Amino acid sequence: MATKTKIEIRQLYKIFGPNPKQALQLVLDGVSKPELLEKHDHVLGLQDINVSMGEGKISVIMGLSGSGKSTLIRHLNLLIEPTAGEVLVDGIDVTTYSIDDLRRLRQSRMSMVFQKFALLPHRSVLQNAGLALAVRGETRAMVEGEARKWLERVGLAGYEEHYPHQLSGGMQQRVGIARALASNAETMLMDEAFSALDPLIRTDMQNLLLELQADLHKTIVFITHDLDEAMKLADHLVILKDGYVVQQGDPQQILLYPNDPYIEDFVSDINRARVLRVRSVMTPTNGAGLSDTFGEVGVDDTLEDVIARSGGETSHNYAVVQDGAAVGKLDMKDLVRALVPRAASAPGARAADLN
Amino acid sequence: MGYYDGVFDALGLRDWCDADKVQGPMSMAELMARVRGGAVENNWWDIPFPSLDNLHASCQAIGRTREMTSAVEQGFLDIKDSLKFVLDPLTQPLSWLLDGSIFVFGQTPWWIIIPLMLLASFYVSRSVGITVFVALSFGFLGFIDHYGFAIQTLSIIFVCTVLCVLIGVPIGIAMSKSDTFQRMTIPVLDMLQTLPSFVYLIPLIFLFSVTESKLYGIAIILYAIVPVIRLTDLGIRLVDKDVIEAANAFGMTPGQKLFKVEIPLALPTIMAGVNQTIMMALAMVVIASLVSAPGLGELVLRGIRNLELGVGLVSGFCIVLLAVILDRVSKASLARIDGAQRH
Repeated sequence: MATKTKIEIRQLYKIFGPNPKQALQLVLDGVSKPELLEKHDHVLGLQDINVSMGEGKISVIMGLSGSGKSTLIRHLNLLIEPTAGEVLVDGIDVTTYSIDDLRRLRQSRMSMVFQKFALLPHRSVLQNAGLALAVRGETRAMVEGEARKWLERVGLAGYEEHYPHQLSGGMQQRVGIARALASNAETMLMDEAFSALDPLIRTDMQNLLLELQADLHKTIVFITHDLDEAMKLADHLVILKDGYVVQQGDPQQILLYPNDPYIEDFVSDINRARVLRVRSVMTPTNGAGLSDTFGEVGVDDTLEDVIARSGGETSHNYAVVQDGAAVGKLDMKDLVRALVPRAASAPGARAADLN
Repeated sequence: MGYYDGVFDALGLRDWCDADKVQGPMSMAELMARVRGGAVENNWWDIPFPSLDNLHASCQAIGRTREMTSAVEQGFLDIKDSLKFVLDPLTQPLSWLLDGSIFVFGQTPWWIIIPLMLLASFYVSRSVGITVFVALSFGFLGFIDHYGFAIQTLSIIFVCTVLCVLIGVPIGIAMSKSDTFQRMTIPVLDMLQTLPSFVYLIPLIFLFSVTESKLYGIAIILYAIVPVIRLTDLGIRLVDKDVIEAANAFGMTPGQKLFKVEIPLALPTIMAGVNQTIMMALAMVVIASLVSAPGLGELVLRGIRNLELGVGLVSGFCIVLLAVILDRVSKASLARIDGAQRH
């Protein structure tokens, strides 16, 4: 499953304070984050971040508040300048861009969706959706045509002449998404885009995003503090804590094999049956024949689907099929075992961590 | 001989003090003291404050307060000519503008001006009630023969407010963009706002002839420009940071950001500043009648000078009427802009 890398972050450091370069040397010499804050009055925002984001994939960066995730996403379009490190977009380091190059990058190659929508309150929905194109200086007809098209695509046809304050939160964020899509950028940055919405609307919006992604194959960088959301959307999951990457990789693998007590504690709260998919718990057969199976299940079915199908019976085996061919075998006992977190989390590990 | 003689003797400054001892004109206090006679008593209760005058009594080399004020005056007179050489041509257009506007407003017949005013107030406020109020007020002003004075006052306010906005908004924008510039400007604005309005007139009278309209024009503009500058700065600084970030994230140039995001979003605050500026211009135009500003202020002044109680009271009431009109119309337009972009 080799995908092209669209964005690559290499050894990225960000230190906030009056003299970040000097503080960086201290960090490289091994000064810890609390010590840096206490003795040197600098805040270590990000340390040694190395992440590759595949083209056409959804990369989710997850962490609690203060973990540096919003800082990290702003390094991709250089709304925040790094203290050290490289951000390669299509193989070119954006930190070396001139102001004009950077502006072009933001105008046509990388669009952004914000947590608080950040629509222009004095412009109509149509003008808001066409913002990126208008900024680029496209003709009015072109701007309005594209804006209309994308508004319809996100389900807001008929609201073109409304103003943002007349719309609900969910609808405003649809405008935000239409605005990002209308710029026709290959990469879309979403900074906690659904965090300000109530749970039902949030689910709707997640489905909308997945549905759009199935057609558009954008490179999406999604920030969230919600693990369920991360699991649902992510092709690649990066978990941040205190400005460094704790674990990254396939979300299913992180869920099954957390490598850090922090993540174990995190994933212990999640509804595993709904998140885990058959492919993560099956035994691959590598083409060998299968016998005495009870039925067939899809490779991307969730465990919840399979449990519903089996009616709670744990003695069955299922053949796992992908595109019509059997690829593995699913023992219901393995399935049930996978539902129990691998290691019981140390009670209160996360709470202790916050202090 | 003064109370502080001993001090100068002790410091060994007696020679310096008496070096150029001249018998200058005496101040009244000195004369009184001399007439009353008697030596200075070293009574601790009556220790005089070591002021210029009291020190002078002991040491002639130290000047008296009146010498200090005349030195200030002399200093001002010394730079006056060069200052005037620079400022006079610079401010000349202001005179033309004020005279021109008073002439145009005054010469156009009332049956054109009043309907135009009503149209303008309806266009700005979009309120029938306010337009009717303006119509009734102008009817009243005309009926008691104060229409001509009111129009002069209005045309001065009009010119000064437009200039305040043209100068003040860019200054406010510059302040919002640069913290250093803001720190430099705020003390000046504070001074302009706290200086008693009469004090403005003093250096201006020296610089320009009292017959020139720019004299009161400058006084009004200096006094009234402060709120529009302050509120433009505030309005732009208060624009939602998230929206600014979005503007940056979509690659807006600084110019696009200013004209498409910041100014439109700051407009309600800027308009509140314009409303304040109009009201302050009205306040100043009355005081400026002291330096020959025409209009209703002239009548108030006549009321005071000639003790014509009725003239003063009626014109005072007309000023209140104008103030209410200007305030209502500009507030209504402010409310309209505010309502259009509430979020």
